[in-house]
Amino acid sequence: MKMIRFSPALSKLPSSILDHLRAVACCVIALQLSFVPIVSAAPAENSTSGKTSPPASGDLILKVMQGELSRASASLTKSDPAPYFISYTVNDQDIAVIVGSYGSLLTDAALQRRQADVVMRVGSPALDNTHGQSRPTGMTSGSLPLSDNPDAISRVLWELTDREYKRAAPAFLNVKTNTAVRAEEEDKSPDFSKEAPQIHAGAALKPQSFDKHAWEGEIRRLSGAFRKYPGVYYASVVLQVQNSNARLVSSEGTAIASPSASTRLIMEAETRADDGMELIRVETFQAPSAAGLPSEAELAAKIDKIAADLKDLRKAPVAEPYDGPALLSGRAAAVFFHEVLGHRLEGHRQRDEDEGQTFTKKIDQEVLPKFLSVADDPTIPELAGVKLAGHYDYDNEGSPAQRVEVIQNGVLKNFLMSRMPIKNFGVSNGHGRNQPGLMPTGRQGNLIVTSSQTVPEAQLRQKLIDEVKRQGKPYGLYFDDIQGGFTLTTRQLPQAFQVLPVVVYRIYADGRPDELVRGVDIVGTPLAALTRIMTTGDQQHVFNGVCGAESGSVPVAAVAPAMLFSEMEVQKRGHAHERPPILPPPGFENTLTTAQGSTAKTEVKP
Amino acid sequence: MNIARATSFAVAALLLSGSASLHAAKHTPAPKDDATKAPAADPLASARAAAAGDALLDALLTELDRSKSQLKMDQVAAPYYIEYRVNDVDEYQAEAAFGAQRESQRIRYRILRVVVRIGDYKQDSYYNQGMGESTILPLDDDPIALRHQIWLATDEAYKAAGEALTEKQAALKQFSADASPVDDFAKAPVVAAVEPTVTLQVDTAAWKSTLEDVTNLYRQYPDIQSVSASARFAAVNEYLVNSEGTVTRSGKNTYNITFNSAAQAADGMRLTRNPFWMVGKQEELPSRDALLADARKTLDTLVALRQAPIVEEEYRGPVLFAPDAANDVVASLVGSNVLGRKPQLGKPNRTVGAFATSFKTRVLPNFLTVVDDPTLRAFQGKSLVGTYDVDDDGVKAQPVTLVDNGTLISYLIGRQPIRDFPNSNGHGRAGAGTYPAPNLGVLLIKSKEAQAPDELRKRVLQMIADQGKPYGYRVETLGPGNTPRLLYRMYPDGHEQLVRGAVFSELDVRALRSDLIAVGNDPQVSNRPGGIATSVISPSLLFDELEVKRADTSKDKLPDYPAPPLEKK
Repeated sequence: MKMIRFSPALSKLPSSILDHLRAVACCVIALQLSFVPIVSAAPAENSTSGKTSPPASGDLILKVMQGELSRASASLTKSDPAPYFISYTVNDQDIAVIVGSYGSLLTDAALQRRQADVVMRVGSPALDNTHGQSRPTGMTSGSLPLSDNPDAISRVLWELTDREYKRAAPAFLNVKTNTAVRAEEEDKSPDFSKEAPQIHAGAALKPQSFDKHAWEGEIRRLSGAFRKYPGVYYASVVLQVQNSNARLVSSEGTAIASPSASTRLIMEAETRADDGMELIRVETFQAPSAAGLPSEAELAAKIDKIAADLKDLRKAPVAEPYDGPALLSGRAAAVFFHEVLGHRLEGHRQRDEDEGQTFTKKIDQEVLPKFLSVADDPTIPELAGVKLAGHYDYDNEGSPAQRVEVIQNGVLKNFLMSRMPIKNFGVSNGHGRNQPGLMPTGRQGNLIVTSSQTVPEAQLRQKLIDEVKRQGKPYGLYFDDIQGGFTLTTRQLPQAFQVLPVVVYRIYADGRPDELVRGVDIVGTPLAALTRIMTTGDQQHVFNGVCGAESGSVPVAAVAPAMLFSEMEVQKRGHAHERPPILPPPGFENTLTTAQGSTAKTEVKP
Repeated sequence: MNIARATSFAVAALLLSGSASLHAAKHTPAPKDDATKAPAADPLASARAAAAGDALLDALLTELDRSKSQLKMDQVAAPYYIEYRVNDVDEYQAEAAFGAQRESQRIRYRILRVVVRIGDYKQDSYYNQGMGESTILPLDDDPIALRHQIWLATDEAYKAAGEALTEKQAALKQFSADASPVDDFAKAPVVAAVEPTVTLQVDTAAWKSTLEDVTNLYRQYPDIQSVSASARFAAVNEYLVNSEGTVTRSGKNTYNITFNSAAQAADGMRLTRNPFWMVGKQEELPSRDALLADARKTLDTLVALRQAPIVEEEYRGPVLFAPDAANDVVASLVGSNVLGRKPQLGKPNRTVGAFATSFKTRVLPNFLTVVDDPTLRAFQGKSLVGTYDVDDDGVKAQPVTLVDNGTLISYLIGRQPIRDFPNSNGHGRAGAGTYPAPNLGVLLIKSKEAQAPDELRKRVLQMIADQGKPYGYRVETLGPGNTPRLLYRMYPDGHEQLVRGAVFSELDVRALRSDLIAVGNDPQVSNRPGGIATSVISPSLLFDELEVKRADTSKDKLPDYPAPPLEKK
């Protein structure tokens, strides 16, 4: 049963491939509203990051957490086996979601919740209950009272802690037995790194002024703009406003409070070509508060652009399989790097023996052309005037965010580390991230690709044509916009990635006008693809999105210049063959006989 | 693992669990286009007139007319039947634990379910993906926005029906043809019944404090591990229109409160009590004081259960079920077996369940008669949540005698016929957005030989005396799987002893037919929550021989450290 059609962008990923994905092996990045909690959403500018400031003494919840944590630690130390580490994370979330479609609200919801994650490690840092496949036994989650009632909060924390101990203790005994009877693992790193405790209180945020009623009106009006376009079958405008406070206390002495706020507005529209191919355009806007979003006029202009793009795409020819020169716009290149490179640099993948470990043994080797460097830097809140979705001060394990130079001048130097050590990388570099309820792993924050071999962006097109001519091809491909992508990193499945471009042009060598094509998918294997980058543009572009992997959905940004590839392989996208709707849309009964005629020149107001 | 799928469910979950404070019923006047101008001879003119001013109903009728007259694709037959059902749900959910609220939400959503059938009543496309499409509808009464979603869902349902019919015909080729095939869809009289809508009024502040007060009782019960309570109140307005001409609108309120408590005995055995209150009218909800008193009683019994002896020895003898326990037995052993659900394609059975082959045979003692009567609105002054006028297939509700003096004479039937039952008897029921299936409305156990509860007790004591048993059993309340929650030993001197850790090993349809020897004259209403609200009315039941034995459950560890100390309050 199809209940709700809000996430076509995600649900239209080729199901044949998705059906075979293992959750642990896959990443989906999408320009997509994710309703999953965004804990480390960009903090507002007024948050302080001084590591020495003590947690606000007035923070009652933090005090209750600390009190119950010390009671649990003191009590459970006497048990056998005993935990050596306990932490409590309490996520307060205040979320409003308004969804409009064709001038009416589909959803108008507000939600307040307070979720607790109790993490426990039984055994020793060298070997504990979270080892290998037993990792989920490290956490038990539940919901806490919303009011600041110390007795009730302590009581629920106690329940969760006792439940977690009853999971973790037997799990540790299993891990010990399994480790004793199994062949030695290749990476004999400990299960948990030693880190200095962190004390930090993010400043409380100024309450966001969010005029719900006014936004309901604006969402109605914006979504109503799609009524002009009979060719747009599905359209929605989604506003998500979230205020959060993540509090973390641990038995090591860490105490962190990180208030944050974020607002996202997503416009999404979908049509179907006559051959049944579904065509989707998505635009996302992000700001710390609703006031920071573009004006209604700007947003309305975007809607007209989306509708125009879809109209062009419906008429565009289907792309043919192709292997030749290609130019990726900055945003397309950013997604490409996030998928192809970023996920393979996540620390935990280097020790999981199910993983392909493309880069595990390539430290100090050249993996990219010398002119490219890659860093992941969650400490940057904004770049080129754009707020970065992957910004945070502390990761979900309480480690301070750090800029990590993963690739310097083409040479692999580092990995994105959580507190799960790997061979030669024993400590966290502030990249342990998770969505509430899931154990953290090394994840990307703001992945930033820089280049020392650039040409002005305006000249890249000519460079592409030159390369097309040199290779004797009729045309090259220009990837203008991209919807998202996913990647496989395991051993059992081919080491492959796929990026889902939306707006792709053929650039002809003989000077014919550029031609929009539809249904293109970039495919290939990671190492080969990366070495074919010839040169880049001189400007950086930002792609903000939500990335899903085994530790859940987290907000990320990817930043890159436009890139020219000497060779890029594309395939035809598999698609459904359902015809466009048979009857004309309501409001167009008398102007169109069938929706096939909806490409009619005149846009008629309903 | 399909991540995309998981994500869209997460989206759905939040959207449906968010709280809506929107109250934007803009009463846009119904546009007077061709579709709403029904011919004067239309017998449903009155229903359509009643629909005027209801933008949702108007949008449904407009799209229905358009699809009925125009929906047709090359190579695929035009639909012979189109149905729209909308559930407009306004729901309040709140939960508290240990004296503090954990959740409070107001949710408003509209779910449309579209069924398009291709073929004919004998054989059609109602199979797999051809069983309908569901989607959410706009909350505003905006004709174009409403019709847009209806239009898309209809288009998808029609295309899915085309594929489903082909698949069904291919699947049927695997089986030899049925000599007397059962139709796929029953014809049903046209119903026009546009009833007033219902609304939901909740004093959220009062309920917050009631739930907090009730769960705050944990302070007085140090032996109880967990105390929580939830409220779930809903107003659901249901709309159904179909291409045969049926137009219905009806509203229903339900109010449910559940109290959850859990403890462990000193030996680790987990004990729970989860009483609930379910009513159809807000004024029938227990008052704050009544709830507190009932919650106290529940916690007292839980404390008593902790101390109660475990049932160690196997027992075979008389067991008396109080009405509350009897209701669960009747719902699970009678209620779920009288549903005339069509078996899978190619299966020769009449229906599914334990009574599938029991038509016209004795399934209960001959002093019992079982009726399902959804037209019954109240019983002994209590509103019945299982009541309805028109079912979710758009068929008028009717009383059905299922078991007549012990003999099974009918099943509950929706518009999907089964062998010997070609027509609906008004029991096609569905939750919001899901496909209808036969279900209970108001199930009543009747007997001409009902006895006073005291007589039944005396009879148990007489039986144990005759059989030389030290005690008999009386069960007051059951938990999941019909395991006893409150089970008492009845001693000849009249005193009772609470015991724990027991199960009934042979409580099945055979026991109901052969070992049930008497019923009480104390019928009690059990309004049952769930996606489909039903009511069961059963008196006490006396079995002359049932086996009671020790439950095969593991004893969990006690908490590894004590609960946090309470601050003074």
